[in-house]
Amino acid sequence: MSKLVEKRTVDMQVIGEWVEPQSRVLDLGCGRGELMAYLVQAKQVLATGVDLDFGRICACVSRGLSAYQGDMTEFMRAFPDRHFDRIICSRTAQELNDPAAVILEALRVGSTVTVGFVNHGFWKNRIDMLLRGRKVRNAVYTTAWHDSRPANPLSIADFEDFCRERSIRVARRAHLLGDWRTPCRVLPNLFAGYALYDLARA
Amino acid sequence: MHDDVQAPSAPPTHPRHLAADDVGIVQPRDYTHPGPFKFQSGQTIQGFTLRYETYGALNATRDNAVLVCHALSGDHHCAGWHSDADTKPGWWNNLIGPGKAVDTRRFFVVCANVPGGCQGSTGPSSLDPATGQPYGTRFPFVTIRDMVRAQKLLLDHLGIAELHAVLGGSMGGMTALLFAIEYPLFTRRQIIMASTANESAQAIAFNEVGRQAIMQDPAWNNGDYPREGGPRVGLAIARMMAHITYLSDAGMDRKFGRRKRETAGGEAYTFDAQFEVESYLRHQGQSFINRFDANSYLYITRAIDQFDPARASGSLEQAFAPVQAESLVVGFTSDWLFPPDQNRAIALALLRAGKRASYAELSTDLGHDSFLLESADLYALVRGFLERSEAYVFDFAI
Repeated sequence: MSKLVEKRTVDMQVIGEWVEPQSRVLDLGCGRGELMAYLVQAKQVLATGVDLDFGRICACVSRGLSAYQGDMTEFMRAFPDRHFDRIICSRTAQELNDPAAVILEALRVGSTVTVGFVNHGFWKNRIDMLLRGRKVRNAVYTTAWHDSRPANPLSIADFEDFCRERSIRVARRAHLLGDWRTPCRVLPNLFAGYALYDLARA
Repeated sequence: MHDDVQAPSAPPTHPRHLAADDVGIVQPRDYTHPGPFKFQSGQTIQGFTLRYETYGALNATRDNAVLVCHALSGDHHCAGWHSDADTKPGWWNNLIGPGKAVDTRRFFVVCANVPGGCQGSTGPSSLDPATGQPYGTRFPFVTIRDMVRAQKLLLDHLGIAELHAVLGGSMGGMTALLFAIEYPLFTRRQIIMASTANESAQAIAFNEVGRQAIMQDPAWNNGDYPREGGPRVGLAIARMMAHITYLSDAGMDRKFGRRKRETAGGEAYTFDAQFEVESYLRHQGQSFINRFDANSYLYITRAIDQFDPARASGSLEQAFAPVQAESLVVGFTSDWLFPPDQNRAIALALLRAGKRASYAELSTDLGHDSFLLESADLYALVRGFLERSEAYVFDFAI
């Protein structure tokens, strides 16, 4: 098991603990459906995913999952308030076009919104940038700038500021150290490698 | 759906029906319903016949049947060949066969021609037993629901306990959709391709021009015409026009461009077919009048226009309320007759109604006819949906 794959399963386990059994879940940027498959098996949720890529939708369909090919904000606009119990945006936040619009729309359509992201303010990233003066490269940021998709990395401090400014209630947070496993108790913006938030409307 | 423009001049050296993934030579059969059949319009006929084909075998639990629903001008012959001399296989032969996306080693595939049609099923060109004359426009109005109810009687006759899946493109998608609504416990999966839950004004408009071309042809004669006669000019024009709506601008440009016919002389000032696209459409019109009945064209386009489950139930979500099937909706980017948004609307309404539904979209330039496309992506999607394991077990170790 590669280090990154191991980290992915940790992410799933935390979200799995937060998800209510048999709830109605929407996974934004569902990929090939790994998280949905886990939640269906572990928590018997009714899951739907959204993704832009045909191949990923096809993979979801082949494993028995509901998935919708299209833009996530347009998808959410087709649903009434609080249609979903929980909307999950895991490791997608840094690739969103207009993240505020996505999160606010998710807060309308979902009772709870779970956002999980890699903390770009993690101390190793800071040192990497400081010493090398180049795009951060490590086990998480694996590609050179010219081989990367457009990304809009964020830190825990950025996200906390956003929630405060938009009066979004943080119902629960999990900050994990660089191993993405051990809880981080102090200075999360510096010492946490990964962060998960449960958001609700204020 | 289109007729191939060229028939091979010589028989193929290796009969394609002998290919390992081909269902081979197939025989159409007729199911005759003995009792009266009441149409949604309230009109009744004394019994009817549906022509159908089956491929593969029904299993012991009688639950591996896949019903294939055809489009406006389609028929029951969706796979295989009718004889050694046949130049063309069934219309969905690329999708259906042993080892293909709809695997006939695994599934019992059924495809039936609809009532109101003209390919062996009872329709306006059939003889009215009361008069001994063709029904003509005295045939009851047909709806998609009538097609579904008639096909269900056939499936009951075949001893099918439940459908593993129902699938169709265009009007076939409407038929599939209504199967899942009308027979929720019978229909476990549905695949809807290049379809709509209600036609746009533009699509109704095109159908109306087709109907007017037929009805304004003096040979239509209010629907009373001899079997080999009738409004051949009107029907050919209706087909030529409709055929354009099945393609796309980019697709036609790729296929024909502005190419001139090789046989066309240098003469520019003539109304003979000069461009390849003109002779192609003329061929489409001519081959259509030899296989399709003008009154059937009127009846079936009318049924498509009237299809509107949302209107009947108050909303699409309410119409979908009884659905138990898992649904897969497939749209095609270049389809401007039943565009991707109308396919998305079906999937979104199913999801709003709390159903399990997926939507996938293929980028093609073949227009509405894209659902007939030879595409590895489409095959993988259909196979994945039909064959996925019932209980997915998550391997946490990945």
